[in-house]
Amino acid sequence: MSAHAKIISLTVNGTRVEASVPPRQHLGDFLRERELLTGTHLGCEHGVCGACTILIDGEPARSCITFAVACDGRSVTTVEGLDDDPVATELREAFSAEHGLQCGFCTPGMLVAARDVVLRRPDADNPAIRTAMSGNLCRCTGYVGIVNAIRRVIDARNTNAG
Amino acid sequence: MGEVSTAGSGVGARVRRKEDDRLLRGRGRFVGDIALVGMKDLAFVRSPVAHATITGIEIPEEHRGAVFTWADLAAGGVKPIRAVSGLPGFKVSEQPALADGKVRFVGEPVAVCVAATRAEAEDIAASVFVDYAELPVNSDMLEAVTPGAPKVHDHWPDNVFLETNVGGNIAEIAATAPVKVSRTIRTARQCMVPLEGKGVVAHWDRHVEQLVLTTSTQMPHIVRAGLSECLDLDQGLIRVVAPDVGGGFGWKGLLQPEEIVAAWIAMRLDRPVRWTEDRREHLVAAANAREHHYEITAYADARGRLLGIEADAWVDAGAYSVYPFSACLEAAQVGSILPGPYDFAHYRCRTFSVCTNKPPIVPYRGVARTGVCFAMEQMIDAVADAVGREPWQVRLENLVPPEKMPFDNVTKKHFDSGDYPESVRRAVAAIELEGWRARQKAREADGRLIGVGFATYCEQSAHGTAVYHGWGIPMVPGHEQAQARITPDGGLELRVGVQSHGQSMETTFAQVAHEVLGIPLEKIKLVHGDTGLTPYSTGTWGSRSMVMAGGAVATACRTLAERLRKIGAHLMQAGADGVVLEGGSVKAGAAAVTIREIAHTWYRAPQLLPADVDRGGLEVTAGYKPGSDHGTFSYATHAVAVAVDPEIGQVEILDYVVVEDAGTMVNPMVVDGQIYGGVAQGVGTALYERMPYDAEGQPLASTFADYLIPGFTEVPHVRIIHMLTPSPYTEFGVKGIGEGGAIAPPAAICNAINDALKPLGVIVTNAPMTPEVILSAIAGERGAA
Repeated sequence: MSAHAKIISLTVNGTRVEASVPPRQHLGDFLRERELLTGTHLGCEHGVCGACTILIDGEPARSCITFAVACDGRSVTTVEGLDDDPVATELREAFSAEHGLQCGFCTPGMLVAARDVVLRRPDADNPAIRTAMSGNLCRCTGYVGIVNAIRRVIDARNTNAG
Repeated sequence: MGEVSTAGSGVGARVRRKEDDRLLRGRGRFVGDIALVGMKDLAFVRSPVAHATITGIEIPEEHRGAVFTWADLAAGGVKPIRAVSGLPGFKVSEQPALADGKVRFVGEPVAVCVAATRAEAEDIAASVFVDYAELPVNSDMLEAVTPGAPKVHDHWPDNVFLETNVGGNIAEIAATAPVKVSRTIRTARQCMVPLEGKGVVAHWDRHVEQLVLTTSTQMPHIVRAGLSECLDLDQGLIRVVAPDVGGGFGWKGLLQPEEIVAAWIAMRLDRPVRWTEDRREHLVAAANAREHHYEITAYADARGRLLGIEADAWVDAGAYSVYPFSACLEAAQVGSILPGPYDFAHYRCRTFSVCTNKPPIVPYRGVARTGVCFAMEQMIDAVADAVGREPWQVRLENLVPPEKMPFDNVTKKHFDSGDYPESVRRAVAAIELEGWRARQKAREADGRLIGVGFATYCEQSAHGTAVYHGWGIPMVPGHEQAQARITPDGGLELRVGVQSHGQSMETTFAQVAHEVLGIPLEKIKLVHGDTGLTPYSTGTWGSRSMVMAGGAVATACRTLAERLRKIGAHLMQAGADGVVLEGGSVKAGAAAVTIREIAHTWYRAPQLLPADVDRGGLEVTAGYKPGSDHGTFSYATHAVAVAVDPEIGQVEILDYVVVEDAGTMVNPMVVDGQIYGGVAQGVGTALYERMPYDAEGQPLASTFADYLIPGFTEVPHVRIIHMLTPSPYTEFGVKGIGEGGAIAPPAAICNAINDALKPLGVIVTNAPMTPEVILSAIAGERGAA
């Protein structure tokens, strides 16, 4: 494998990283195994469950079906990089208040996807939130707490904006 | 058992969870997050066939030393898993951690490969050539019990782990009952699908001379016991640790072959190894739950009053008996709990735990109750249909009424408390049944059919000693223990042997301790899931942790409170009888001394202690058992309204109400969360989840694209209505509630679908009720007409 390794340069949570990676390594494994950013969770590794959702150049993406070598020159943000992000901060508060997490395994992916919904869909009603979030699976919460948490953040932002 | 408040942060308060912050910032620590220096990854060679003799295993020369088989483990003294049951007639299966000359299901581990990364280990696994001589396959439990069926275990006379017979002769009722209805009912084989798969990191700790197995488990102490038996290693030489665990639902309540293999490899190679179950491995090798088949008859009078129930039930238990619960717990439980929450006198049930060429069965959330409720609640609706009454009225006719509580039912289950009929009445009101009935009459403009369904159950939780002694399995819950220790700065450490994998125990046990001691939640730390740090426990299963470990925490804290009062009184020069512990301080009139000051005295200023101070100090281990060994019975009625499209067979859930009684709720937010989550899984059982097998025993789903778990758009925004009848037998009156949400949805949704299909004169009786199932029911009737 190492014979085919490729040198890539990318930004991870604001820090420039240079690494030699095997072409078949997916971004999720790269982030977890090499960068020790274990907040990105792998729930299916075939792009369905959404637990591994991260941001690439600010857009949500599945890190399990993205090759690390494809991220040369890109900017990657994981849940660890959202500590100071205002929307993520509001979402963390709301997820806790609404019991939007139990085991916490799907949670990092949920937060990244929910942040995108809050930013893109300030008009979303609950069915729209559910449709927008339907790329992420949770086995614990029954989704009620997550929908309520996103609702709470959208409502608060709309109130503050209005 | 003490005052319960809903304010503050004690028992009854809706407080936010202590575990949230780290999980929301990606700073949890799941087993796959652990990296140890020099750690190797494992990948398993798994059987691609359901039943075969292994005639050869070829390991490429360059990978010798990186691949291990059962021959290596056996030579190293490793023994097969033996999960026995003491029930008479139980047939014992031996499950080697890697196949020993024969494979019995697709996905069974055959060899293990070690490499620097998982990818490289998988490369090696792909290079190992296994020669299989295929054997005839048992892919269906009903065929597996017919004469001449191929045998899964050659030395058995048949393919039945255990047959049980409960109840007596009801021939007289059968001959005379005015109403008799029969059904054939089936549920599909499912995967439990916690979002985090299983995983294990094993290493030998040279300093303490212990095998340390960090594993995604619900029951570390039981895993330790099982490892000890299979590895022939003293339990004192093994430490099992559960880190953050990403959901379990039963799947993580067992000793896994992969745990044994990882432990042995770590010792053999003297370096850390890791195995993480990927999703394909889970879906293929761990399709292990829920597959029941019932032939059931209900006898009733003309009002729908049940006179008797008669049933034969089969459970597909798969190829091996799983440690510790065994292959027979589920089917045998069917026999004891099929009567549900109802009061009737005549009962007969015969059950079979059938051995097939599928993965071994493990108890999934609700265990047998989801299937039992699915069967029994269909029968209630069938009786209602036969006597021309509303199904909810027939439920009222038969449910155990509150004035009979506590009540011993026909199988001697001791229902502790509650008003079962009231849960039905409230569900009827909350779903607004009359409105739906009117809408049914008016017909839908889009041609869809409206239906409303109900299901009622009661659920035994916090199982006691006698029942499990009766099973005779390698695990019997006794006195649950907790340790409580005041820290030198006046905080509190709690240590329990149960394990939290989403249940919020770090918060709820702190609430229990706060209720007794008044120490603020932020100063209470829960240590759990580690055999090295906690008292023995059978672990987290059977909705037991809040009742059992919560009770133990309260008991330990009460003893601490007594000791605090005594030292506090001495410091204030007051009599021990005249002081109270309140708000984190011991008070004598206007004088007060804080727990922090008392802790300082014990640890840092012992010269100030009374001469007769309890030398156990500010650290207590206490054991607890509820006042009844029969556990607690939580209960609920679920009501659901659906629209069924008769052209495409699709079901839409229009409204879903749960009226439940969990006794006293320690944290209502957490209780709601358990119910919401349980209902979502029940919706999966009802409408989506099925691991199909072909006649060769090949699983036909291996990704989330073909094994469907419910997502945001499939699960309804469930409405919950609480009743609150404390258990008379437990601390604070709490009851177990973790599993209940998953029990009733298949039954309620089935009854709703059948209510909708009534104008077409057809019924569905099998789960999941997919469009295909519904359309073929409709097509069958049209074909017959």
